[in-house]
Amino acid sequence: MYPPKFGYVIPENLNEALEFLEEHEDAKPLAGGHSLIPMLKLRILRPSYLVEIRGLPLSYVKKEDNMYKVGALTTHYSITKSQIPLLSDTANNIGDPQVRNMGTIGGSISHLDPSADYPAALIAMDAKVKVTSRKNERLVDFASYDKDMFTPDINPGELVTEIQVPTFENYKFSYQKLERRAGDFAIVGVAVLLKLSGDVVDDIRIGLTAVNNVAVRAKGAEEELLGKKINDEIIEKASNRAMESANPTSDLRGSAEYKKKMVKVLTKKAILNALKR
Amino acid sequence: MKVVQPDEKVKITLKINGEKYETEVEPRRLLVHVLRELGFTGVHIGCDTSNCGACTVIMNGKSVKSCTVLAVEANNAEILTVEGLAKDGKLHPIQEAFWEHHGLQCGYCTPGMIMESYWLLKEKPNPTEEEIREGISGNLCRCTGYQNIVKAIKSAAEKLSQTQYPHPQ
Repeated sequence: MYPPKFGYVIPENLNEALEFLEEHEDAKPLAGGHSLIPMLKLRILRPSYLVEIRGLPLSYVKKEDNMYKVGALTTHYSITKSQIPLLSDTANNIGDPQVRNMGTIGGSISHLDPSADYPAALIAMDAKVKVTSRKNERLVDFASYDKDMFTPDINPGELVTEIQVPTFENYKFSYQKLERRAGDFAIVGVAVLLKLSGDVVDDIRIGLTAVNNVAVRAKGAEEELLGKKINDEIIEKASNRAMESANPTSDLRGSAEYKKKMVKVLTKKAILNALKR
Repeated sequence: MKVVQPDEKVKITLKINGEKYETEVEPRRLLVHVLRELGFTGVHIGCDTSNCGACTVIMNGKSVKSCTVLAVEANNAEILTVEGLAKDGKLHPIQEAFWEHHGLQCGYCTPGMIMESYWLLKEKPNPTEEEIREGISGNLCRCTGYQNIVKAIKSAAEKLSQTQYPHPQ
């Protein structure tokens, strides 16, 4: 399968890329290409030009001011190697090894598949997304960036350039994913960040992906745990309440009822797994 | 800034298995097609949708599915295909192990499996069975001959640790 015809642009710096994208609204930036190239082959997209941004210096992980700053072109592979709490584990669950070698975090969240893995972690982490255009740079909360399925808060002429997450030191964490077959998108994905003082839950953040149009926090489940002594009973209650935050649709990956129940199972698994760390 | 128009071709240079190749491609051409046209037909086209891994090659040291990489993106890259593994008529230890353990049935997935094993063993020279299975999760064997593939990769890991075999590239 060939993609349709398109022109190809190799900018020398970010500014050139932004300028070209601003002037050609039907041009598309090409990062890892692992969503874009299949979409081209299937003729879902017919851009006039692809702008190769892979060569731009946006592949880095820096720890600064109690934040991890992750360049948009950092591959999933590099993120798995960066030991960022929760985010590295989540990256390791994306696709398969070859996909992780090419795919980038900026590409993934610009495409914003509602069943992608990163959103569960990013919503739980209160991540911020840096969106850059030629004249402007803005830092957006992931929660408002994730407007709807495949609909990130990016305007023509803008690119995601960086993702920022707090360091979450002394947190326990886990990302649990249910998939139909190895390497697939999630049927249900649950990300948990948990801080204990003694056996009392000091902070709890639970992010769900694939069960709504956008990633959400499981607020009911969090409420059930926060400030309480952690034990099996409370974990069971919280996992039950996680289902309140799920409004899945039936599709080839499973029925809505099944997915909803799996939210409970995976939330419990994620909490128990986090506690083991 | 370099701009290639939709009907234009672009000259690219690839270093494949240590040798330099120059060719002209349309921007929409995929790496897998260009490699095959240059004679590297060990790179197979399977699903063509980045699921099956039959087209796996090593690009700049990392395994990639060449059906989902544009040839123009690979400009100036170093590519290793299954043809580049054997040296002086002697099979690479991974190839030997696949042969000895019958790590193939129809053979269609084999070049991709071997290249992914090459990357896996570079990353994790002494993988557990679980790590091997995870490592080849992007490669499908439709004969379902996974047991022997896993055995072959285990054996290849031992061979490589004993022989200090110099990796190509």
